[in-house]
Amino acid sequence: MAEGAAASRGGLGKALPLLAPAYLWLTVAIFLPLSAMVFFSFMTDLPLTGKPWAFTLGNYAAFFSQSLYLTLLLASLRLGLEVTLWCVVIGYPAAYVLAKVLKGRSREAIFLLVILPFWSNGLVRIFSWAMVLREGGILDAALNAVLPFKINIDLMYSYPAVIIGLVHSYVPYMVLTCYLTLQAIDDSLIEAGRSLGASRLQVLKRVIIPLSMPGLVAGAALIFVPVVGSFMEPRILGGRTGTFYGTVIEDQFVAVFNWPLGAALSFILLAVVLVILAVASPVLRRAA
Amino acid sequence: MMTTRILEWLGRIYVWLLLAFLYLPIIIMALMSFNASPFYQLPFEWTTDWYASLWQNDQLISATWNSLKIAVITTIICVVLGTTASLALFRYEFRGKKLLQALLFPPIAIPWLITGTAMLIFFFGVGIGRGLFAILLGHVALALPYVIVVVSARLQTFAPELEEAARSLGANQWQVTNRVTLPWIMPGVIAGGLFAFAVSFDQFVVSYFLSTPGQTTLPVEIYAAIRKGFTPEINAVSTIIIVVSMALMLLTARFFKFGGEK
Amino acid sequence: MRMPRLTALLTATAVFTTALTLAASAAEVHVLNWKGYGADEPWAIAAFEKATGNKVVNDFFNSEQEMLTKLRTNPGLYDVVMINAAFNDQAMSEKLIQPIDTSKLPNYADISKDKAGSPMLDHDGKVYGVPWVWGLTALAINEKSFDKPPTSIAEMWDPAHKGRVVIRDDAVEAVQFGAIATGQNINDIKDMDAVKTKLTSLMPQIKTFWSSENDWNQMVASNQIDIGTYWSGSADRAKTHFKLPVSLVIPQEGAVAWLDAFSIPVGSKNVAGAEAFINYMIDPKFYVEWVTKVGAPVSANTKAVEALPEDAFNRKVMGDPDVAKRIQFQAPITDAQREAYLALWQQLKVDVK
Repeated sequence: MAEGAAASRGGLGKALPLLAPAYLWLTVAIFLPLSAMVFFSFMTDLPLTGKPWAFTLGNYAAFFSQSLYLTLLLASLRLGLEVTLWCVVIGYPAAYVLAKVLKGRSREAIFLLVILPFWSNGLVRIFSWAMVLREGGILDAALNAVLPFKINIDLMYSYPAVIIGLVHSYVPYMVLTCYLTLQAIDDSLIEAGRSLGASRLQVLKRVIIPLSMPGLVAGAALIFVPVVGSFMEPRILGGRTGTFYGTVIEDQFVAVFNWPLGAALSFILLAVVLVILAVASPVLRRAA
Repeated sequence: MMTTRILEWLGRIYVWLLLAFLYLPIIIMALMSFNASPFYQLPFEWTTDWYASLWQNDQLISATWNSLKIAVITTIICVVLGTTASLALFRYEFRGKKLLQALLFPPIAIPWLITGTAMLIFFFGVGIGRGLFAILLGHVALALPYVIVVVSARLQTFAPELEEAARSLGANQWQVTNRVTLPWIMPGVIAGGLFAFAVSFDQFVVSYFLSTPGQTTLPVEIYAAIRKGFTPEINAVSTIIIVVSMALMLLTARFFKFGGEK
Repeated sequence: MRMPRLTALLTATAVFTTALTLAASAAEVHVLNWKGYGADEPWAIAAFEKATGNKVVNDFFNSEQEMLTKLRTNPGLYDVVMINAAFNDQAMSEKLIQPIDTSKLPNYADISKDKAGSPMLDHDGKVYGVPWVWGLTALAINEKSFDKPPTSIAEMWDPAHKGRVVIRDDAVEAVQFGAIATGQNINDIKDMDAVKTKLTSLMPQIKTFWSSENDWNQMVASNQIDIGTYWSGSADRAKTHFKLPVSLVIPQEGAVAWLDAFSIPVGSKNVAGAEAFINYMIDPKFYVEWVTKVGAPVSANTKAVEALPEDAFNRKVMGDPDVAKRIQFQAPITDAQREAYLALWQQLKVDVK
């Protein structure tokens, strides 16, 4: 152990050259931009355009004085929550079957199949849903061909369409993280519980769910955070209900050209997300 | 054990249903690339015209090349920087290490909308501007933490005594790293590289805010097309991408078997 | 990692990085316009490139707001930009576009005098926009949903069309449409509350907001909508080129008329190419081919319109004095108005949640 201690004393000097490139890169491309964003959010105008600018709290005042931004932020948080819940409901059982029921090659194959869509372009998947969901689209045509009575399914351009599209995009994350923790649970633990007379439900509640909690929480965080900031999916699938906090931020940067307001709205979103993650992290740590 | 059997079969059916949910839209999207109607109208009329016109579409092709180039460079840079950083974090003890590890979290945890707009403001402000170089800067930063996390996880399974042994046999630091450590963590490095490639190749939000006309990536071009006029050419290019990436993934899986074994 | 291997990797990276930097050639004309709006027709580009040796690079916008932001954030990139005349003033005052030397455009002499002399395009005796085409934001219907075309704008509010109505996602156009529906002058809206009430009652009728021609056409193709606001030229294209069951309705209450014009952005690297392109776009030969093959709004070039057959829609209907009486041309709006419209439109979109 003496050698190890010696290594650790001069650690920073030796570690620095190896760490510097990676962390310099992160500083330039992540940390400085985030600080710049905070700085910009207190400005009246971009200094770049040559117009006079000054420091102001106006961009934040805009958020709090107009109910519209708060309404949209709440709508986005609700969207994130609903999508996460659906991903748990749909993804967790699948992860369980993968980890505990399937064995060998078929498990390997199906696991790969679940992960594969992650490699296809997310935008195109969202657009495919537009084709499936619209009236006279595939879903409608297929159901009417099978069912004896005529039904009209027209989910396109609605809130449910946004949910479906987002769940489709993000459910593989949930399957993946839950699968990893479920797989690590020793089968003999479950056997032991069963042989002690516990019902399947009791085993699920007392053993399996608590032990797979880290996977659930990690998956939920991985899904919730990007969904709250989503703008492309609601734009394509949401129609008149497709205005969310993310789309308003996009507008500030791409159309309206009010970058300071966009920066303030982004920063408020960042604060909200960080608070939520901070609340979730003890759960994660305790479960781990 | 009858109930167990039934439950197991229900489970299997369930998983297949999930797969249907995941793949149905993709299959429909691919089928529509062979349909003649530019508005995806049924009845289905077979054509390969969209693939033919794809080769005429310079913008889409150049965007595809940009995406590939950026993903490859991102992968290389991330693997090199990420592996060295992971080795440093693994080998040495020093004050502030916990903080450095915690700093890997923001790029993963902050919504891309925020990171993307922040990069736009900063790069624009300091004169880096936008374009492919800015996109590359952003992609590496987004993918790097994944590589470090994956490689570090693999390093956790590594016994430092092996390095000690090699050193006591007279090997220098380079030889130790090259002959002992790297071969051991190679699966982690490759998995990290794959992650980096996937993060970059599929990345839309950050590229969207950092691209300029003519210097875009495929997802940005597809979004523009969806919003400004969509033809089945987009389906055609996506079908090609999906087929190629799935084939790549399957090949890798054959060699490295993730997830399958315990 | 062994040193040579590392060096090789780094070299490869360097090579790739250099491959990333694109060299822009001088003979390119970068054009910013709506998608599917004449300037990107493959046959037109081919003809222009063959005639002048310039290569056309197209880029598109989704709204006038986005167009302006693209000009602001990409100085020096574009050579030609298509701007609705009502926005020309704003673009000029932000120093985004430069004066045009019309002596370099042989076809400019044939532009109808009232369009060429428009105070929206000429500032301080200099020409900042070359009139190209004009048209209407009127109603268009899905012919499958109507036995006979409606005549009144009130059709949009008919409960029979609930969930099957579309309007464009554009604050200015929506407010001006509301002004027409409430019998007001679109350029001098006295009663904003009436507009707001009228539009609020329209919201539940709406399926979605369209932002490109393609949106509209796809929704008609899949029979998702009955009626909506649409551009006259686009309705023409939907019918002529895409064979969709679309027809244009100019309601008795009136319609919004606009004049689209070409400008040259400040910092253009190929002004000569830009002039050649604009001249080509206002040429009667291009126009006639555009109308016949694809469908288009009305040319500002009198010779181009005269080259159309007598009974062409763009001569017969759009040239009809009775129609002329009903339509109101968009005038420039002030910053304060724009902000008020935007706030109203945003609020309407949020209220449907």
